[in-house]
Amino acid sequence: MPGKNNSVPKVQRFVAILWPSFVVSGIATVLFFTAFDPDEVIGCVGGWDISRMGYYSVGFFLFWLLTSLNSVLTCYFLKPCSKS
Amino acid sequence: MTEKNTQQIEMTPVEEVYAKRKKIYPRQVTGLFASFRFTGVLVLLGIYYLGPFLQWNGRQAILFDLPARKFYIFEWIFWPQDFIYLAALLIIAAIALFLVTALAGRVWCGYACPQTVWTEAFLWIERKVEGSRSSQMKLDKAGWSWAKFRLKFTKHFLWLAFSLLTGFVFVGWFTPITELTERTLSFELGPWEFFWIIFYGFATYGNAGWMREQVCMYMCPYARFQSAMFDKNTLVISYDEKRGEPRGSRKKGADYEAEGKGACVDCSLCVQVCPTGIDIRDGLQYQCIGCAACVDVCNEVMDKMGYEKNLVSYTTENALSGKKESFFRPRVTIYIVLLSVITIALLGSIAQRVPLGLDIIRDRSSLYRETDEGLIENVYTLKVMNMDLKDHRYSLAVGGIEDLRIKKPKKGILVEAGTVVTYPIRIQVNPDNLKTASTELIFYLNALDDDAISIEVDGRFLGPVFK
Repeated sequence: MPGKNNSVPKVQRFVAILWPSFVVSGIATVLFFTAFDPDEVIGCVGGWDISRMGYYSVGFFLFWLLTSLNSVLTCYFLKPCSKS
Repeated sequence: MTEKNTQQIEMTPVEEVYAKRKKIYPRQVTGLFASFRFTGVLVLLGIYYLGPFLQWNGRQAILFDLPARKFYIFEWIFWPQDFIYLAALLIIAAIALFLVTALAGRVWCGYACPQTVWTEAFLWIERKVEGSRSSQMKLDKAGWSWAKFRLKFTKHFLWLAFSLLTGFVFVGWFTPITELTERTLSFELGPWEFFWIIFYGFATYGNAGWMREQVCMYMCPYARFQSAMFDKNTLVISYDEKRGEPRGSRKKGADYEAEGKGACVDCSLCVQVCPTGIDIRDGLQYQCIGCAACVDVCNEVMDKMGYEKNLVSYTTENALSGKKESFFRPRVTIYIVLLSVITIALLGSIAQRVPLGLDIIRDRSSLYRETDEGLIENVYTLKVMNMDLKDHRYSLAVGGIEDLRIKKPKKGILVEAGTVVTYPIRIQVNPDNLKTASTELIFYLNALDDDAISIEVDGRFLGPVFK
């Protein structure tokens, strides 16, 4: 695997990171915004003047950022340590 | 699928995945299963593109109104509080998929999956513009010319236009589509609507135009675990090796058995029609999405040759090996029982659903207050949600502590259909009636015009401890 790792096409690595995180962030977005109405939450602390649709979208991409970070770390730790 | 095949997936060297793939040009196929799929595609695309335009009592019949946080499904309105129904619905859908898979294999993949449905639509456009399989292959091999550019441009233009329409309708399921149409025509789309139309359109174009079978092979989670639902009585598409081999070409009408050949004429049409580019004669493979294109085309050939049909057919492992087939296996029975129980529970609880919600929020600035008369006062904010389709006036009652005083609205609380009213109330109690620092209160709310609409919600009353 270590030697072969470079032969994995770049596209596959991107998809392996972005695709599962996309799916999970979709689920997370639904659960989160079912429990919390952005208008009410933001109304308490004061926020930007954007629509609910905007909050949902921003929320989705924030989740996607976090979940892909997770995938990146998983991929990173999958690499075996170099044996010196 | 068989154990052997799952292992094959793991053993396949990773380079193959997403490796520069050879483009697959599925040959057009006609026949029984192709017409099933065509009908399915037409019906499903019809539902998708026309569904949001359906009207019901002067509003969009099915609208998952995300901006307003309400789901309209014909007569019903669902609120975020009703999330449990959505969860139950998803569970039902999942078990139904398991059941269908156990019985009939990958029929979902072959006929109903959006990836298949939109790919079929894109293939149709491709064929209209670039012609048949062979002319598509010739066109791609040829050098760039004006004619080639024109054809490619037309194809991608049509694909993109279709994708944008798809993105537009997608947003129309989540935000009222008549207003969305007006805003689109007058170029007044909100930034997020615009963004999601482009995003979903681009995803459609990429998935159905470019990725196609790769989505099934590398991205679909269902394709990976569906084999777990398979057993020896599951319908699969299979080549009858005993009858077909040894394959070989022959003259029409020749006595192939005398030549020592099987029924397979090795015309390779089954490979040409396959949308995932496999050879069904190599056995069951995880790439097979069960579309039955090879069944249709092989039957056509068998007809022409005057041979018996179903050299490639929908069959089961048990049927192929001559064993007894059974329909009600334990797993099928379990799926059916689970499915019925959850479906009945869901329908029952929707039928009994009281279209009224009450949230009680205690005043957060102080625990309690002592009035001049020496009473203990708690302040609450009530959020009354009328989830019904008409306006209601509700009467409020509070119990749980003796002689509690409450300032109530005389005519009840009026809440218009589908809205929320916040209503502050003060409750005063004689401290002698409080035995503990925190006492349970019960709030009763019921519609004045309909006794069936009533709920009770627990709350807490805080006071000092004297003992």
